[in-house]
Amino acid sequence: MSENIKFTVDGKELEGQSGELLIEACEKSGIHIPRFCWHKRLEPVGMCRMCLVEVETPRGKALVPSCTTEITEDLVVDTESEIVTKAQEGILEFLLINHPLDCPVCDKAGECPLQDQTMAYGPGESRFVEEKRHFEKPIPISEVILLDRERCILCARCTRFSDEISGDPLIEFIQRGNKTEVNTFPNEPFRSYFSGNTVQICPVGALTSTSYRFKARPWDLKKVSSTCNCCSVGCSIELNTSQNKMLRILGEDNEFTNQGWLSDKGRYNFDFLHSENRVLNILNKSEDSFNEISIAEATVKIKDKINELDNPNIKFLIGSHSTNEEYFVINEVANYLNKDKFLSRDSSNVYFSDDLLFNGYFDDEYSKAKLEDLDSSETIVVWCEDIKDNLPILYLRIKKAVKNGAKLIVFGHTNTAIAGLADFYFGKGIVSNKFDLIVNPSEIEDLKNNTQGKKVTVIAGKSTVFQKKESLDKLINYLNESSELKVFNSFSKGNTFGALQNIDEVKGLNEFCNEFDNDAKNIVFTVGVNPVNSSHFAQPIKEILISSDFVVSMDLFINETTELADLILPTTSLGEKEGTITNMEMRVMKQNKILPAPGSTLSEWEYLTAILNILGGDVQYRNENEINSFLVKEYKDQQQVATFDNLNKPSNLFGVINRKEININTKDLHEDTFSLLMVRRLYGDSSTQINSPSISMLGAERFIELNSETAKKFGIKSQFGNLVQGSNSILINIDINEFLPDGLVVAPINRRGFENVDPSKEFEITEAKNREELSVN
Amino acid sequence: MTWDTKLIEKANEIIELYPQKRSALGPLLYLAQEKEGYIDDDSVVEISKLIGITEVQVRSVASFYTMYKQEPTGQYLLSVCKSISCEINNSRELINNIKEFTGLANNETDEDKTFTFEEVECIGACGGAPAVQVNYETVEGVTPTKALELCKYLKEEVPKVIVADELQEKFGGVKSFDWGIEDNSGTSSTAPGFQIIGTAEEK
Repeated sequence: MSENIKFTVDGKELEGQSGELLIEACEKSGIHIPRFCWHKRLEPVGMCRMCLVEVETPRGKALVPSCTTEITEDLVVDTESEIVTKAQEGILEFLLINHPLDCPVCDKAGECPLQDQTMAYGPGESRFVEEKRHFEKPIPISEVILLDRERCILCARCTRFSDEISGDPLIEFIQRGNKTEVNTFPNEPFRSYFSGNTVQICPVGALTSTSYRFKARPWDLKKVSSTCNCCSVGCSIELNTSQNKMLRILGEDNEFTNQGWLSDKGRYNFDFLHSENRVLNILNKSEDSFNEISIAEATVKIKDKINELDNPNIKFLIGSHSTNEEYFVINEVANYLNKDKFLSRDSSNVYFSDDLLFNGYFDDEYSKAKLEDLDSSETIVVWCEDIKDNLPILYLRIKKAVKNGAKLIVFGHTNTAIAGLADFYFGKGIVSNKFDLIVNPSEIEDLKNNTQGKKVTVIAGKSTVFQKKESLDKLINYLNESSELKVFNSFSKGNTFGALQNIDEVKGLNEFCNEFDNDAKNIVFTVGVNPVNSSHFAQPIKEILISSDFVVSMDLFINETTELADLILPTTSLGEKEGTITNMEMRVMKQNKILPAPGSTLSEWEYLTAILNILGGDVQYRNENEINSFLVKEYKDQQQVATFDNLNKPSNLFGVINRKEININTKDLHEDTFSLLMVRRLYGDSSTQINSPSISMLGAERFIELNSETAKKFGIKSQFGNLVQGSNSILINIDINEFLPDGLVVAPINRRGFENVDPSKEFEITEAKNREELSVN
Repeated sequence: MTWDTKLIEKANEIIELYPQKRSALGPLLYLAQEKEGYIDDDSVVEISKLIGITEVQVRSVASFYTMYKQEPTGQYLLSVCKSISCEINNSRELINNIKEFTGLANNETDEDKTFTFEEVECIGACGGAPAVQVNYETVEGVTPTKALELCKYLKEEVPKVIVADELQEKFGGVKSFDWGIEDNSGTSSTAPGFQIIGTAEEK
């Protein structure tokens, strides 16, 4: 246990905890010590020497780096003495010897720690008249990051981040002494899901993002805090705009969720906001082309269609990028159309677009996990889809917990990225080729020894679309009985939990396909979804949309799904709307607006209330805040409700946890034989990503994975081939992955080229003629 | 050049000596250097696979230590000490003589790949300063004239194996003490003898 310690800094008596670093303890008491290399989320290295302070020792006063010195009882520290000032001036003079004075063209200028601290602590004049060191500037070290080695002051923040935090050390110090530089290995670029964080923590302009380079000066930026909606972790972010254009997204240090880090998907997926392909006017399909119409015409058209079709089935296919307020309105409209007044159907008509949606563990018998529980767990059990690809920041949190001593147990065949961290990986022999648990969990010794009576957090979800809930139940119920269990439902897509909280009854895509009645009249509303591009059920959904009588799509782009619609209502996106979103721990956080809605786009709730009203409803929401005041009434804890006012309070900036009744109604998919599994990867061909030029290439690689046995069965000898299905043939890289069960081929569902692959049909893999074909995109 | 099975077997033997695979990095780099005379990219890839760290981490270590060569050296690597004991015993003139004879500046290799010349920091032979190393075999008490003779000998005789004691007898003077491990087998390449892992015994 840490105890309170009293120590003295600059004559003031301060208090801190034992084991705390001097620089951190001073910071907490409001004394700022300048630093470059020290970062509170990274291990200290004492590399830059900028944080030298004078400490009284038995042998007199001594200069020590405050970032590697722990506070002790009665420590006496001077941070402003003459010697400290001289040391700071000296260090800065050394750092500036080789640092180019290209601040006028440097992206970092204006928010640069080196610039700021030189102003505050520097010598003011340079005595250096010799030639500075030169490197080629800049060099790309990955598709999204450029490195200018001349500017680097060798603080090792980026290399420590990639080693300690993200675990993919693809950049390191090369050479020694005056020649030291940060670099990658030839032909081994810094391809990391988390590489953008190194740009954010670089204390100089050595690492820059291709997307932000030369775009703006920091003092011109308009900033607002918001919450990322790329996965259900809900990272705190800062949106930076200038001239009504989103220019960059930075991670904010939210202790509860992302702790400062972001995945590159969350950080760079914003260029699409200003893409020329974005739909800016309401499009009405007549014959085979779209023409622009007004909102008045559009609502009338919807009303006429509903009346004309005479008691049609009206279904809503919803996605994960709406706000809680929008889901609340979707629910209201869906209910109104379906049962309250209009058509008197008794079952729910809202379907959530996630292949892996299942009924989850929301009952009171399961205690719900928070992300911070990972840090205090003795064991973490994971059985869900690939965490690194689908919940990247959760991967970092698990990695951190494992580093601090938690045991990690991973089940299944497909969570391979996290396998490297796992103490125990239960794949073949314990999980069948059909993803069922074939061993009684109490009989797995290693599981029992590491969970019985211990604090356990489980991240539970369907690892693949074929998995049955029953086998997951076996594991979760066993753990719930034998250990102090906390459960995460691992629905990974954006604001899934907001949808679950605000919609009375949610069904999945399997139900959408099964419940479709071709003989009846059908109207489908799609809200921010593109299942035709990236779902296991893509083909049946495509057929349904084609055969439906009327399809209305609310979306940002014309894509595989919206091109099948009769009416496209262009909507708003990140930074263009205000609202709340709910993350996987039921933490409700604020999304803020900083950009005007472009063209004649409206938010989803605006379209929906207009539709509701023209059909005879009497809802008059004027803004998001009004919707919010209705939806907060349903939260279980009325002390801490997530109203806009509440969330804007400084103490609640990082969200409040609050729950609502959740009702999911899905059934397992029953496929007896399958050999092609399509899984979602972080990068892909979503319409937002392909319209964001800085990251559109990241999802270009086409590949399949299989184990060596399966490769033998297909007669695969080389590392590349063709995936052939009917007349469709895709050139692919072939990766051997021994975690996969025999006979199974895993392909990315959201990659260009794979959109016409139907997992339920036969396929074969043939040798590719030559490797060059692969690079054709 | 990728590594053949024999080399990989030897590497695995070395790796087994350590509780953690990555600790074997140093000796494995010697093994790579033994093979190519320098640390080439292919060897870096092999080593990274063998001990489970990334290529750039291997390169980072390999490029930090000056005795791991980043480029091919000549047949004879002449390392002349320029630290304080040698300096006050006139190593400067010795260095100048070698530079003049070979026509090389610091860290250069001649065109026919005979000599590589480097000025190095203390090589632990202060008692016998000034000291010179040929392919890391140390000769002590070398005078500027003897240094020239040593270069001539290497250039004309082209000895296949360099043995410290032989050179000491021919070109050396005062010797500090019996330094290092007992290893009279000499070296045939610019890589140092590394007795623990058995690279020296094979000569």
